[in-house]
Formats: sequence, C-alpha cells, structure tokens
Amino acid sequence: MDQPVIEMLHITKKFSKVVANDDVSLSIGKGEVVALLGENGAGKSTIMKILYGLYRADEGVIRVDGVPCRIGSSRDAIRLGISMIQQNFSLVPAHTVTENIILGNCRGLIDYRRKEREIAALAETYGFDVPAGELVRNLTVGAQQKVEILKALYLNARVLIMDEPTAVLTPQETDRLMEFVRQYVQKGNSVVFITHKMREVMDVSTRIVIMRGGRICGAVKKEDADETALSRMMIGHSLEHLTKPAGGAEEKPVGFSVRNLSIRRKSEPPLLEDISFDIHKGEIIGFAGVSGNGQQELCEAICGARPVTDGSVVLDGRDITHLSIRRHIESGIGYVVSDRLRYGMVMNLSIAENLLLKESYGPKWRKHGLLDRKRLNRYAEEVIRRYSVKAPDPSVPGWSLSGGNQQKIVVAREVEAGKKMILFDQPTRGLDLGAIHYVHKTILEEKAKGKCILLVSTELSEIFTLSDRIVVLYRGKIAGIYKPSEVDAGKIGLLMSGYRNGEEKR
Amino acid sequence: MIKLLANALFMSTPLILGACGEVVAERTGMMVTAVEGIFLFGAWGGFVGAYFTKSLLLGFLAAIACGVLVALLYAVTTIHMQQNQVVMGTAVNILMTGICEFFYRVIFGTPLEPLTVKPLPVLPVPLLADIPVLGTILFRQNLITYLTWILVPAVLFLLYKTSLGLTLRSTGENPEAVDVAGIRVNRVRLLAVLFAGILGGIAGAYYSIGDIGMYTTSIISGRGWIAFAICFLGNWNPLLALGAGVVFGTSDAVGVYVKSLGSGFFPSELFTALPYILTILLTVVRRRFNAPAKLGTAYVKEH
Repeated sequence: MDQPVIEMLHITKKFSKVVANDDVSLSIGKGEVVALLGENGAGKSTIMKILYGLYRADEGVIRVDGVPCRIGSSRDAIRLGISMIQQNFSLVPAHTVTENIILGNCRGLIDYRRKEREIAALAETYGFDVPAGELVRNLTVGAQQKVEILKALYLNARVLIMDEPTAVLTPQETDRLMEFVRQYVQKGNSVVFITHKMREVMDVSTRIVIMRGGRICGAVKKEDADETALSRMMIGHSLEHLTKPAGGAEEKPVGFSVRNLSIRRKSEPPLLEDISFDIHKGEIIGFAGVSGNGQQELCEAICGARPVTDGSVVLDGRDITHLSIRRHIESGIGYVVSDRLRYGMVMNLSIAENLLLKESYGPKWRKHGLLDRKRLNRYAEEVIRRYSVKAPDPSVPGWSLSGGNQQKIVVAREVEAGKKMILFDQPTRGLDLGAIHYVHKTILEEKAKGKCILLVSTELSEIFTLSDRIVVLYRGKIAGIYKPSEVDAGKIGLLMSGYRNGEEKR
Repeated sequence: MIKLLANALFMSTPLILGACGEVVAERTGMMVTAVEGIFLFGAWGGFVGAYFTKSLLLGFLAAIACGVLVALLYAVTTIHMQQNQVVMGTAVNILMTGICEFFYRVIFGTPLEPLTVKPLPVLPVPLLADIPVLGTILFRQNLITYLTWILVPAVLFLLYKTSLGLTLRSTGENPEAVDVAGIRVNRVRLLAVLFAGILGGIAGAYYSIGDIGMYTTSIISGRGWIAFAICFLGNWNPLLALGAGVVFGTSDAVGVYVKSLGSGFFPSELFTALPYILTILLTVVRRRFNAPAKLGTAYVKEH
C-alpha cells in the first residue's frame, strides 16, 4: 500500500473534563475520499480541527507523508497543504470574493486588479461561476461555499476537509460539488467529508469511517457498506422504523387556510407573494425550498409575528390575520422556530421556566396571584420523562442541555400550545439521529390527533418522509404543490432552484 | 476670519489624530473606549516630560509612552481577559483622572503660579506659506499638524491597499476567518490598540505642550470622546474622519474665538458646548452605518 498523505495516531483531546477525542487513529490516502460519519458530538469536527491546527491535541502524533509534524496553527496546516472548510463558513461578508481568498496569503502591497484576474482564472479552471469582485454578502450560500473551496485551491491544498458541506445546498448544487470532488481527487488530492448524512456519503466516498462518542467505531470500504449497518454503528443501536399512516387526510375538513397572502416592502422584492394553500385536519404540509426563500416569513406571518400586507389567514373558520401574537397563541397555534437559540428558548432560564414561557400571563400556572412552582415542576418532570430529555431535574438552565434536548423542550411546549395547529420550522436542524427520530415521531403523533401541521425543512428526505403534500417555495412564491407520489427529489430540487415547471436543466 | 480658519485647523489636529487611531483599532473590532484616558495621560506625560527635559520632542515621546501604557492596560483587560470594552474603558478613564491629578500634585505640589513650557512653534512652510489667505490658513501650522495631514492618507492606504490593512479590516468583520487563515486575532487587535495609544498620546500632549504650554486637570474635558465620535461619524474611514475632525476643530476654534471677544451677544459657554451638541446632532441624523460587524466583541476560542 502507498504511503498515506496523513496519518493521525492515538489522538486524544479533552475540553476541560469532556473527552472529545479518545485515542483516535486515522489515515488518509492519496486520491482518497474519506467520509467521517457520526452523530453530533461524536468528535468528527474536533479531530479534523486538530489536523487543521485550530485545536491542539493533548496526546498523539500527526504524520504528513510519513514525517511527524507539529501543527500548532492553521498556518502550519496550510503550509503542509491541508485546508478546511468550516461548517459555518469563515468568510467576511462585507468584503469581496478576492479579498476573502487572499486574506492571510499575501504580503505588503496588494494589486487588487491583478489578484482579481488570478482568482477569476482559477475559478474558470474548475468551472465555478463566482464573480471575483463581488461582495460575499451578495452571493448565494452555494456560491459562498465555492469561495471557500477556491480559497483552499488558491493555497494549493492537497488535502481538503469539508465540514457538513451539503447541509446548505440544493440537490443540484450538491451534485456539482460531488462532481468537483471527483475531479479534484483524480489529480491525486484527498478529501475528507464530515457528515451525518449517509446517502451522499455512499455516493462519492472511497472509505467510510464511523465515529461515536469520541472514538472510531468502524471503518468500511464503500463497496462493503450498507446503510442500516452504518446507522447502527453511528448511534449504537437501531432505530424503530417510522411508518406514516396512509393518506386519507384530504377527506377530512379543512382546518387552516391561507389566501393570497403577500408581504411587500418598499422598493424591495416582496418577501411573500400571493401565497394560497389549505391544510386539512390531520394533514402535514411540507414546505421545501432553500432557506431564505420566504419560509420563515410565512411562519411568522401565520403566527402574527410579522404584519401582512395583503391576504388572509383563517384557522378553523376564524380570520386570525391581524390578531396580536398573544391572540394567535390563544387561538391554538404552536410554532417551533428554526433558530431556537435566538427565538425558541431563554438559555439562562430553567427547563421549567422555558416550558411556561408562552403562558406566563395566563392563569394556568397561577396560584394566589403567584407562580405555582410546585405544579410547574411536576409538569416539567413529566415532560422530561415523556420526551426522555437528558436532564437531571427541571431546574437546570437551558444552556446546559445539548441541542437535541433543548429542541425537545421547545417541541414539548409548542405541541402543548398548538391545540389546533403546529408550525415546525426546520425542527431537526443540527440535531443528531436519535433526536431527529424523536421529533419525527412527535410530528406524526400530533398529525394523528387531527392537528394541522406545517413543516418547513431544507432536508428533502424529511419532507418526503412526513408530508402528505409538498409545497415548493421559491423567492416568496409557491412554485408548485404536489403529492409525494407525483414527484421525485430531482424535480423538487429544480423547482427549489428556480426552474419553472416543465423547464429542464440547461 | 483667516485667523479663525487657521485656528480651526490647529484645533482639529488632535481630534483627527485620535480618530485615526480609533479607526484602525475599531476596524479590528476594538472600541477603544479608554481614549479619553489615553488623551489625558498623554497630556500629563507630555507636560511632565517637556517640563523636566526642556525638550518638546522628549515631551511628545513621553506622551507616546504614556498613551501606550494606558492602551496596554485596556488591551490586556479587554482582549486577553475578555472584559467588556465599555465597562473597562470607563474604568480606565476614571482611573486616569485620579492618577494624573495625584501625580501632578506629588511632583509639583500646589504651585502658586501655573507652571508652563514653551508650546509648539508655528513652522511656516517655505514658499507655500507666502500664498495669500491659503498660505496663512494651511501652511503656517505646527509640525504635528503637517504630520497628521500625511498620516490620514497613509492610514487610508494602509487599510485599503496592503495585506496588513486587509487583515485589520477582516479582524473586525469576522475574526474566525482571520483565525482560520492562520493569523493570530488577538495579536492583531493588541497592535491596533497600541497604535491608537500612540496617536492618542500625541493628541493628548498636543493640548498641553502643543497648545497652551501647561497642564490642567480639565485640559481634555471630553475631547477624547469627541475623537471617538469622529471615528463613528467618519464611517470608520480616515478621510471622512479628517472631514469630521475639521468640523469639530472649527467649532472648538469658534468657542475660543467667541470667548476672546468677551461678553458679546452670545454666551461663550454655548460655544464651548458646541462640539458636544454637534456630536449628539450628527450622530442622530446620520444614516449610513458601516460599523465593523464584530465591533466591541471579544474573540473567544476554545483550546
């Protein structure tokens, strides 16, 4: 066997008392695409950040081309030909593409015009349509990722590490990324994918390494891999299979409807335009689309958090368009927000207090005009048990929970508040498989109770698994409404990226 | 009138100096809220240095040392100990007020006559100074003023044409990006704050040994904060800060001018207050904000 480009031997890394990597050994060969598969917190990113010099290992050796190396900073890593694309891109939005790419890689005076030409030429060789002089904040997420890749190419990286690269891409963009990866490794370079999505892993990688709890718990050649076995290795046990109750929802009465809803702003493109749809009782409507195409605005409009320019929102025969947020909550709408850190929870409050957030003014938890802590705690304990939240007791603060457990608290609260309807805006974003499974199960349970459910997701697989009907949003407009049986992911993907019905990929 | 304009430029120099340092520091995300303290200690150090050495050059060098010292205190507490920049700056400013007063007394006691040094002389530029009107306004200034005029385009050039400038600007917008590129964020920030300390020290000394030739406890009285405001008003651009600096310098000069007229139609206090009123007005009316995205936030990295 050839000399591997990278060998990481017996790496251990601790953050205060938490062991993030425990005796991890990993090698990366020339021309190889390694998929590093594992749940959140399995230590995938940590081990790669050590390789890229962002973290320092407590123990272990890194060899590059067989030579032991000390990688003390990213600069050392870059010098050795290692580049890493972070999950949340590390770009400066207010600067141009060129400025971003040459940051830290130039000396003295900068001839911006010449650099721009260089970078345009580099983009050309890989067929990236990224304008070198454009400000990064004006680019789509897909294009921003290309800027990150160009940054690595500009540094002549021969080992490219990508942390969850497809999380933000449309299916077509993902295809193009995979195309690039193939092209890139053919030249003798190597790629490491950090991911928790199995499907794309199977597609492009040559070897799959599975991590769990900070250790490597398996490595398989792509030929020998099968999805069920991989997922079992990832989470340590197998998941019960979810079954979606067969159709029938459309025969039930309409519980919720939106008519000609628009949100316009002065001299800017409308956020939402002429949105109309119904949700039957016990139906799940899935909104697909690249994030930022009006999904969040739609949810906010329905919940009364954003004023509506035109149109109406009707819940159970009652027009709720212009009611206040509080009246919306009282009318029985639950809303699981996409950004739970900002809008979903107050991290310094306890679990119990977070559960009461939306009813703090109501009489429910009141006793002699004061908060009935005892009853609230009992209720919180019950939620912790029912949703199997990993928390010692209801008094621990929100920030002490993992992302998945925080989301369980939010979901519990909204399911309770949403007597008639629940909106789930990207309910599984950033969660690990176990938590995702839990959220999905809850959504289906609520559907079975006859609630109207609106699900927004950027994960097409999630949309297809759960929805009774699929709506595609593109730039604030509905690009189509389908039954899952009528369409496939490819078609939805095209609609998501703005191709109109029937129009094919150019 | 010509005298007034010349004086306006004279008065704008320290404000522009201070603002330039502030621009560079804020571009890296560091709000140097200790600028008032830096000015004051610079004024104090400049006077003490010049008084004992009888040399203005050594006085200004002492002022630079003092400015850097305060900046260092501020930088270590905010960058490395990650204390809140506003709180820390306020604390440093109050501390400096006390220190300056205390050590002035320790060194000089309570002199009956105010102690003085010979202030910075006017340095006419040969030939150019003889141009009517403009020559008097622009080219009969002191050395520091000329240097300031060179400094502004130099800082502009540094920020927009050099790799160091790109690093500085990126640090204030997205320190993670800088870190990932293998540059030490905190070192960049430290150096930027120290640079603001150098300029702030000179600016402070300008009031004591550059202008009146003596030191009083109220010598700065908020001028540091005005330099701080000029940085905001100049949209974090040295050239615009120069413009804003001249506006404030003018209002400062008008205040002095009206005072010299004696009791006139307008109360002179109104004109003394003019720069502060102007700060509030201009801050409220201005539209375009171009603040560095991570201004005022410490960069914390896990290890």
